[in-house]
Amino acid sequence: MTLNQALATIHSHRQGSVQHSLSLLCGFEPLHLSTFLQAHAMERLEGSNVAVKTGIFGDLTGNLARATEHQEGVAAVVVEWPDLDARLGLRASGGWSRSIRLDIAKTVAARLMQLADLIEGLASGTPVALAGPSLPLPPLGHTPPDQATTFELLLQEHVLTFLRRMSERPGVRVVHPTWLENVSPLSQRLDPRLEILAGFPYSLKHADALAAALVNLLYPRVAKKGLIVDLDDTLWAGIVGEVGVESISWHQEHGTQIHALLQQMLGQLAESGVLLAIASKNEAAIVRQALQRPDLLLPADSFFPVIAGWGPKSAAVKEILQAWNVGAESVVILDDNPMELEEVRSLFPEVTGLRFTPGDPAAVWRLLGELRELFGKQEVHTEDVLRASSLRAGEAFRSAGGNLNNGTAGAEFLASLGGCVEIDYRLASADERYLELINKTNQFNLNGARMTQAEWNAALHADGAVAVTVSYRDKFGPLGRIAVLLGRRAPDHIRVTAWAMSCRAFSRKIEYHLLDSMFGEFDVECLLFDFRATSRNEPLQSFFRDLGVFTPAAEPLRLSRGDFRRRPPLPHEVRVWS
Amino acid sequence: MSTDVRERASRCFQNVFPGLPQGEIPHASMASLAAWDSLAHVTLLMAIEEEFSLTFSPADFQELTSYDLIIDFMESQPSHG
Repeated sequence: MTLNQALATIHSHRQGSVQHSLSLLCGFEPLHLSTFLQAHAMERLEGSNVAVKTGIFGDLTGNLARATEHQEGVAAVVVEWPDLDARLGLRASGGWSRSIRLDIAKTVAARLMQLADLIEGLASGTPVALAGPSLPLPPLGHTPPDQATTFELLLQEHVLTFLRRMSERPGVRVVHPTWLENVSPLSQRLDPRLEILAGFPYSLKHADALAAALVNLLYPRVAKKGLIVDLDDTLWAGIVGEVGVESISWHQEHGTQIHALLQQMLGQLAESGVLLAIASKNEAAIVRQALQRPDLLLPADSFFPVIAGWGPKSAAVKEILQAWNVGAESVVILDDNPMELEEVRSLFPEVTGLRFTPGDPAAVWRLLGELRELFGKQEVHTEDVLRASSLRAGEAFRSAGGNLNNGTAGAEFLASLGGCVEIDYRLASADERYLELINKTNQFNLNGARMTQAEWNAALHADGAVAVTVSYRDKFGPLGRIAVLLGRRAPDHIRVTAWAMSCRAFSRKIEYHLLDSMFGEFDVECLLFDFRATSRNEPLQSFFRDLGVFTPAAEPLRLSRGDFRRRPPLPHEVRVWS
Repeated sequence: MSTDVRERASRCFQNVFPGLPQGEIPHASMASLAAWDSLAHVTLLMAIEEEFSLTFSPADFQELTSYDLIIDFMESQPSHG
């Protein structure tokens, strides 16, 4: 983005009331960094009006303390060398002699400790994106520039220790220094002219790159959910149907190590909750056999479902999307054959197709980076790890008699599950899992409205706030934390403003258990729902229809105690924390 | 060529001073326009630098304090005039 584009973006989006507040906390003059930050945030939030608040020049610690007092919106904290010791900047004249370097190092270490405490305080109530010093150090050394001095390495060590400590704190996300180097080379970051003239140290390109990185951390893109992988010449080298199970390979000694790199990447993705499936043109029996190879670098049961056959790949993709119950836009397919990718694209244009090119290691290396970008998430929750196994359990659930999609599971079958619903009214602080449920769930979502972390925090702390969370397990295994409901209490009713439940929990009557518990917990006559029919929330519409209260035109939708008596029998044990 | 410079420079003025009517841009100066403060001045000259792929010296920042002076400067540049 250029400065002119950023300015134009801001003016075109600056309409109506401010919807998001972003604090830029730095010690230098924020100038164009503020402009780029605002423009990138507006683009990411699809035209929402974003206000960027800045602090006082030269007072990073004061700016942090004041932002902590106000706890508003989200915060981008940008630390530069002069914030750690003014003698490391271009606007000071404290000298660079060898005798003062020890003192500079001590000051930097002490200052970083102070900043760490302040940032931790800020992050207790405000999501923080943190960038460490990104400018080159002044030429403080007797060595030629290609030889590092102990002093320079010591300063960098202090900063890395600080960033590592910050990265471990909940609510703090640290800009990856190496990633920044890729998009903004060190030699092109500093603008000494602007630093001396206006106190703004960055070149326009660096300000743009840094702002984009900060916005990515504060308002992350939605990660893809599932990856469909081809087998022959993708997961392994060789055509298994021709060479046999023993002759396919993914090993350095066979010259097929590139496939091992992919397998390791897939293993890591599976661990972080990414759904993996196989779509392969092969005989199912030989695929089953090949996946049993003990030297495979990820467990064979990481893949669910495994679709092997001779039909078109698009048919396999359709089957996988149904098994996963996710939209095509959340899915990536990886195949070495461009024709297969094209065939899938013709039926599912929303699926992201990536080509695996084993003969081009550089391209595979880039591909692995692309997979990290597509699937990367800021936190891995217990539910992410449970997702694949609960899908397999869902298959067992369906096979055993439950129908996850049309709610026809019989009362007897549900009662046989040994289900336990845990309902918790104590949610008092931000938990990303629940925010994720609100922001990613489409099918059982009250109104499709998305929330920022700041809005979530505000809702939790509003007068009369009601926050209910639900976990579930049965004989097929735990589903983890699968539902959240937010609302406000009035004397005779609860106004429900947000309600989302994971599709993995459908057909188990858990939603009825939740409302039943709420009528018991609160002495109110009715629940009012800020319901809005969306193109995706048919399961919730169907739920209200079954209770006889679905009226798309009415807002809010009203459910009285009398209406709720029409509920079906409740099959599970319930545990309540309030 | 001169019209092109004026149009492109005016776009930069519009970006930095969105409230300034088009017709008043040619008369704008630091002295006459309240919104043209020291920070807006840096932003304006950086926007013009970027648009015309040139680099102003610190002395240029001191001197180019009106639309006319900026246009005169631009037109005096061999590659942009």
